[in-house]
Parts: sequence; C-alpha cells; structure tokens
Amino acid sequence: MEFLKKTTEALKTGLRTLMPSCRQVARIQSDALERPLGVSQRLGMWLHLLVCKWCRRYGRQIRFLSHAAQEHSDDLTGCVPQNLPAEARQRIKQRLRSQGK
Amino acid sequence: MRFSFRIGAGPLLIRGILKPSVQTENPSAPTDENPSTGLSDPERWVETHGDYLFKFALLRLRDAARAEDAVQETFLAALKGGRTFAGRSQEKSWLVGILKNKICDHFRKASRETSFTDLGFYAEEEGDRFVTEGAHEGHWISEIGPCEWQKTGESLDNERFWQTYRDCSAKLPEKVAAVFTLRELDGVTGKEICALLGISESNLWVMLHRARMALRRCLEANWFAKEK
Repeated sequence: MEFLKKTTEALKTGLRTLMPSCRQVARIQSDALERPLGVSQRLGMWLHLLVCKWCRRYGRQIRFLSHAAQEHSDDLTGCVPQNLPAEARQRIKQRLRSQGK
Repeated sequence: MRFSFRIGAGPLLIRGILKPSVQTENPSAPTDENPSTGLSDPERWVETHGDYLFKFALLRLRDAARAEDAVQETFLAALKGGRTFAGRSQEKSWLVGILKNKICDHFRKASRETSFTDLGFYAEEEGDRFVTEGAHEGHWISEIGPCEWQKTGESLDNERFWQTYRDCSAKLPEKVAAVFTLRELDGVTGKEICALLGISESNLWVMLHRARMALRRCLEANWFAKEK
C-alpha cells in the first residue's frame, strides 16, 4: 500500500515536470531568456508548446519585448517628454565653471 | 569600498561606450573642436547633451531630482576625467557611459537602504487569466489568453509604440522596473544585477518574469488590441 502511494506521488511529480501548465510554461519561457534550462524542463516546455498556441504566442511576445527594448533603448529614451529644466541647466553650468577653474 | 566598485563597474562602463548609441547620434551635433586635447567647452556639453542625458536618467531613475543629480555628477566626473577619455570615444556615448555608472551607484546605495526584492508585486501572476481549478488548472482561459500581435515589426518604427512601452514600464513597481530596465534596456547581465542590488538569482528571475508578464499584458491592452 505504502509502495503504491509512493509510486503515484513520483508519477505525479514526473508528470508535472513533463506536462507543465501554461502558468509554469510562462515562467519557464522567461527563465529561458536568463539561463540554460534543465533537460526535463526543456522537454516539458517543448511538449507543451507543441500543443498550446497560447503559450507559443506568449513566448514569442516576451522575446519580442525583450529584443525590442535592447535594440531600441534609444527610442525609449528619446520619447521621454521632459527636458533638463532650465534652472538645473544653469546650476550645472555654474558648478562646472567653478570646478573648471 | 569606492575603489572596489570602480573595478566592478568596469564592464558596465565599457558596454556603455560600445553601445550603438553612437550611430543614432545627431549628425549635426558639433564635434570636438580640438581633438588634440580632446576637450571642448564643458558648458557646451550641457547644451548639447543635457536633455538626452536627463531623459536617459529619468527613464531609469523615475524621479526628476534624482535624474538632475545624476546628470550633474556625470558632467563633473567628465570634467575631471576629460583629458583621459574624450579623445578616444565620441562625446555622447562617453558621457552616457559615465551616467550609467552614476545610475548604478544610485541603485547600489538604494539597495543598501531597503531590500531590493519586491516579490509582493503581482503575486497572483495574472491569476485571473488562468483556470483556477479542475483538470485544466493553470492553463490560459482561452477567451482572455494572449491574442495574436499584428505588425510587430512596424510597431518598432512607431514613436507612439515606444510611448506606450514607456507608459507601461512606468506602471511597474519601482524595484521591479529598476531590475527590468537594467536587464532589458541596458543589457546588464543577471549576475551583475544580483551583485549590484544584493539579490539572489532566483529572486531576479521571478521579478523579471513578473515584469514581462505585466508589460506584455499592458502592451496588448493598450497597443496591439487597439491596432486592430
């Protein structure tokens, strides 16, 4: 009886690794951008992505967002509407003048 | 302490210099009048680069006073180091490199004062978009799962897309946003971020995951769903 229980538990854990939920796959796909995945994680993710169009989209989208930010960080900086306030500009110039002497 | 940081921040400074921001530099911007000393009028720096550096700092520090301070420190440091560096790399990317280090300084100080781990944010991890019970627990609820994004390539050239991106990232909690901008915008490696902010790698990964989830959802709602 005890043996059976343990086997079922082990099977469940194994199945969860090999058949992760969308929620887990979202995390795994984010981690994949940060570090090499383990073999079972990769296999589980791959199997899941074969059958789940939502997660395929999700992965494509977070990779797009990451790539976009890295390639276009200048565009993002450029669209900040505020400029250096005139008062700060004057102050900094004064500091530079006094330091430069 | 100060000295050991300078060594640690070396790679950041180098990356700052090598970053392709040089390519987007305004071609009409005046270049060094005197390349032999490599130094032109520092007050002209403020006119030429002040706004860009301020935007750069504000996007990352999210506070005008802090951004002003960082810009001022950058120019003062540039004044000191000018003779060594200005001849070697273009002015703007050189200044941006210094500013990046000043921003890292700020985050390092902030992380000493309060813990940088912000796991309370989005604890639900889009809980409302996943099935909560039954055989399909943890799967996207199909009606509100990720929708297909059209014209992603064209969006990249659209200024309004970047405004939306910026607005969405501005909604992230402060610490999560700091981690996200360091990692995604500035390409700082995970290991460097962990050392800088004193957080563990697993905390970093959770924070990045949640930032991506929130940002994806915000951009879908405010850009890609509206484009249709």
